[in-house]
This record gives sequence, structure tokens and C-alpha cells, in this order.
Amino acid sequence: MSDFWFEFVEITQTIGDGLFFGATYALIGIGFTLIFGAMGKLNMTYAAASLAGAYAGLAAFAFVDAPAPVVFLISALASGVLGFVAYLTCFRFIPINNHLAALMASIGGLFFIDEMVVHATDGSPLTFPALFDDVMFDVGPYGVRGDLLFVLAMCVAGTLALLYVLYRTRLGLATRAVSQQDVAAQLCGIDVHRTNATTFVLAGLLGGIAGAMTASAVGVLSPLITVPLTVKGLIVTVIGGLGSIPGAIAAGLLVGGFENFFLYFRGVNERDMYVLLLLFIFLVFRPQGIFGSGADRD
Amino acid sequence: MLELSGLSKHFGGVKAVDELDLTVNEGEIVGLIGPNGSGKSTTINLICGVFGETAGTVRFRGELMNGKPPHQRLRAGLARTFQNIRLFPNLTVWQNLWVAQNSPQDVSARGFLPRWFGATRRTRREIADLLDLADLGHKDDELASNLAFGEQRRLEFARAAATRPRLLLLDEPAAGMNQQEIADLSRRIHRVRDSGVTILLVEHVMELVMGVTEQIAVLNFGRKIAFGTPGEVQRDKAVQEAYLGASDPGDGSA
Repeated sequence: MSDFWFEFVEITQTIGDGLFFGATYALIGIGFTLIFGAMGKLNMTYAAASLAGAYAGLAAFAFVDAPAPVVFLISALASGVLGFVAYLTCFRFIPINNHLAALMASIGGLFFIDEMVVHATDGSPLTFPALFDDVMFDVGPYGVRGDLLFVLAMCVAGTLALLYVLYRTRLGLATRAVSQQDVAAQLCGIDVHRTNATTFVLAGLLGGIAGAMTASAVGVLSPLITVPLTVKGLIVTVIGGLGSIPGAIAAGLLVGGFENFFLYFRGVNERDMYVLLLLFIFLVFRPQGIFGSGADRD
Repeated sequence: MLELSGLSKHFGGVKAVDELDLTVNEGEIVGLIGPNGSGKSTTINLICGVFGETAGTVRFRGELMNGKPPHQRLRAGLARTFQNIRLFPNLTVWQNLWVAQNSPQDVSARGFLPRWFGATRRTRREIADLLDLADLGHKDDELASNLAFGEQRRLEFARAAATRPRLLLLDEPAAGMNQQEIADLSRRIHRVRDSGVTILLVEHVMELVMGVTEQIAVLNFGRKIAFGTPGEVQRDKAVQEAYLGASDPGDGSA
């Protein structure tokens, strides 16, 4: 009985940790989904730019010993700038109907950013400062890692800020107008390029936070994280339903929880296999995602 | 007010609009008619900047519009409606009008302020007037996608009027309307004109065109074949041929 109880606590603890960590997947997913909602295109540079932002934060920590909040701020800002650059290089001048060209350009952007990071760091992983290394909260039989709690809190704050901008400001109204009917938006006097650029910057800011979160939760920053994070972000976006922000949040947590569930039972080597299986199951049985009619971009 | 000269748009070998000259004076209601595929919608798209022209110029209030994107032309005072309705489906009726009324300031530092900041009593009253114009006062909180077809048309009309245009381009606003709705629409067009807006009306429904316009330009195969008052145009030989297809090479359907 006590063995069973111990195992139960262990499993739920693992899944719980996964849910907390899933908050970073949710943020990455939100970034993909936000841009998909605005332009109907995938910005493949997104996860790479997020991690590059984290590198910028790390540089600030390494060279001037910046405190944690400043590290996150710099990560967010750097990633926001990269978002703007990605918009200019991969989307702004490519005809609106040419989806493949934008996709390929941004995949190129993904590897370009990745290569820059590899060259700047000689390809070796760097230690990212752990924020709350030893802080643990005890909740009944469970322990909650302080850093994961902070990750969750930052993700919630970032998401709330985004939702505020989207649903409570004039800028958000313009953004939603563009995403719902871009031709009519132009003919209502909205500058579509500026609105889209702003969406990229906002997504980038969130991505920078997510990048720094991932790095501080894992403890290291390595170019090797880029592609897996991109894949996780896309999985979250698809499972959540392309263009759906609530979907991306739910799917991020779901993927995080699932990941740790299989980590517990099948080990780290098989973990991602099952996450991809989850994607497969969704694509077959619920291709429109968790929430969503698919067409509803709000 | 609006001056098109030598305006042309070629899609590959097809001359959708060919050397079109047209002048619309301030305060007029001008009709633009012609058989299907004669270049009316293309002309509207050229005027408001959705398409770039192959040749020729678009001048609006003396200012050259060539090369300007649609949002800049709108700010100069050019607004339009669409043949196939293009509302913002997931915004409410009120928000659809608000976006149109306030868009020029949207993406700026003020964009981050709460949405209703700057929704002064004046803008609120203007939107109330527009809701009245569209006869949608009771539905201001409804999502645009939940409106009936006729209501969507009226909202689109009001949304175009909300941008405070000097010239309003109406692209087949009466398509699919019944007698009563056409009468309402013609009253609405007059009401907007009387508030100081010039109107260019592209339309197939002759009842509306003949009843509401003061001048009519007739297009066929991208070229202007007639211009004059409704009476003159109706008596015009070339126009009758274009519509009856008497001397059209290969197009007897119109």
C-alpha cells in the first residue's frame, strides 16, 4: 500500500513538473499561433530567435553580471528585435499569397540564427544562471520547484499582457481586424505592414521570455535546443489549433505533462517519440485542434 | 475631385481597363455601368489602390495617387465597399465601425492605451449616427458574422461612411436586394451625399443606377463607350449595342 502510494505521488509529481514546464511550450506555441493568426503563415525563425534572445540575456549576465529581471528583460527585447528583423527579411516583401516562399525564407532564417549562435559560442553549451536553485515549496506530499513556479508565473503574466493588448487596446483591435480581413483593414486605413510588424515584435518579446525560461529551467543554453524547441512549438500550435491562443496554452500544458509522463515510464530516450505520437493522434482524430473550428482566428 | 486619365490595367494579354478617362466632380453621384467583365470592378480596385495600374494616372483632389497603398488613399478621403462583403467577422457591429472611424491612429504609441480611450462623446455620437444610417442601432453588440446578409451589406456601407470619406466607391451595393431594400439603399446613398460625400456607384441593378445617379459612364471591354445623364445614356446607340450584344465580337451573353 505504501509502495503504491509512493509511486502515485512520484508519478503525479512528475506530471505536475511537466505541466509547469509546459508553460514555456505554451509561450512558444502562442508565438507561432499569433503570427499564424495574423498572416496565415508560419514564422519558423521564432524558436531560434527566442533562444538567441536568451543568449543575449546570458551575455548580459556574463559580462556585466546583470540581475535576473534584467536578464529576462534583455532576452525579451533582443528576441523582439529579431522578430522585427524576421518580419522584414522573410515576410514583408514576399507577396501575401506566396506561403511557400515565406515558409522557406523563415526556415532559412531559423538556420541562419542557429549558425550565428554556433559560431559565437563555438557550439558548446553554456551554463545559464539558475534563478531559484534551491527553493522548494512543500505542498502536502509534493514538492514544487521554485524556478518552475517562477516560469509559470512569468508565462501567465506574459500571456495576460498579450491578451490585454489583443482584446483591450486599439492596437489589438487593429491586429484582429487585419487577421480577420486584411484587404478591408487596409481600406479602413490600417497600415497592414506596421500592424504585422508589431505582431512580430510582440510575439518576439514573449518568445524571449520563453527562451530565457527554458534555459533557466534546463540550466544550460545550447544550439542543440533550437530544433527540438521549434518542433515542440509547432506540435503545440497544431494540437492547440492553428491561430487559437487558448488552444496553444492548453496544448502547451498538455504536451509538457505528457512529456514527463512518458519520461517517467519510458525514459528520456523514448519520450519525444510519444509526444510525436500525440501529434499524430490529434492530426488524425482532431485536426482542427483542441479548441477550434480552424477558421476562427480569434 | 477624382480624375482618371489614360488609366489602364492589363492582366497578361487581357486589357481589363483600357485608356479610361473619367472625371467625377465634387458632390455628384456618378454611376459606372457596363456588361459583366467590362472592367468596372477593376476600375474601383485601381482607384482605391488594391491593384497597381499598368498605365495612366489617378488624381484625387489634385493629388497624384499612383503607387500609394490603400491605407494612404483612405486617409486622403477615398473609401469603398465590396461586391463580396468583407466585414471583420469576429468584431461586433460597433467595433467594425470604430475600427473604420479610428484606424489612422491605431498603430502608434496610443495604440497601447485602453481601447475606449479617446472614444469621446463626439466619436460615440458619430457611431450612433452611423448605426442609425445602417438601421442597426439595436444590434451594436452583435458579432458581424451573426448578422443577416442584408444587415451585413448595410454595415459595410456604414463602415465605409465611418472613415469620413470625401469620395465613396460603392461596388454593386444592390446585388441580391429586393425592391424595398433598393429603395432604402437609394435613400441611404442620398443621405450620405447630402452630408458632403461624392459617390461613384458601380452597379448592375439599373433601377438603382437610373434612379440615383446624375451622371453615368458606360464601360465595355475596358473602354468607356458613353458618358452622360441617365436619359442620354439610355438612348445611346453604342450602349444599347453593348448590352444587347449586337456588335460584340464573341460576347452575346451580356
